[in-house]
Amino acid sequence: MLAHQMAMESALVQAEMVEATEFPDLSNQYHIMGVPDTVINHGKGKMVGAAPEGQLMAEIMKAIKH
Amino acid sequence: MTNLLNDDIRGQVRQAFEQLQEPVQILFFGSKEQCEYCDDTLKLVEEVASLSDKLNVQAFDVEADAAAAQHYNVSLTPGLVIAAEGQDGPIDYGVRYAGIPSGHEFSSLIQDLILVSGRDSGLNEQTREFLAGLTETVTLQVFVTPT
Repeated sequence: MLAHQMAMESALVQAEMVEATEFPDLSNQYHIMGVPDTVINHGKGKMVGAAPEGQLMAEIMKAIKH
Repeated sequence: MTNLLNDDIRGQVRQAFEQLQEPVQILFFGSKEQCEYCDDTLKLVEEVASLSDKLNVQAFDVEADAAAAQHYNVSLTPGLVIAAEGQDGPIDYGVRYAGIPSGHEFSSLIQDLILVSGRDSGLNEQTREFLAGLTETVTLQVFVTPT
């Protein structure tokens, strides 16, 4: 939901909810252990578990700087 | 044909949909090849859309409608794009689902429809400012399970 809110806010953000068990290859690729895990920019960043707005924002900042 | 949603759920969803404001377009992307949940997903969103006249479903096939799939950057099926319905077609905010939105994700779908319908993210000021300053694309993939 939070990721989708961010997509709503910015034309540059695309957010996809991925049903992990339906796409095991993708889940393995990103080493998804628990849910909800958020993968940022195809693996440049990752946030484990649900987190408040500020934390996801911080993780996106880190991923962009990479 | 039996419904996927029972009367209880339909009632709850109808009640939640009282919050819908502007029309929403659900774009469904399926595939004829090896797509276990495509039929159920299409059926599910069609049932959901039938509960409000502000919701519409448009169905595509990633192979037959390859141009549309590419335009919306959809490769995983079943795929959903939750877009606003604009004068000249869907307004894409980048809200996507890959896989069937059942179980816990079903309530996310309902909330997303209301969110897109309201045309406002509801985020706090700090987050909005940060996002307004983005200069490159950001792709978020949230991995979830139905239970």
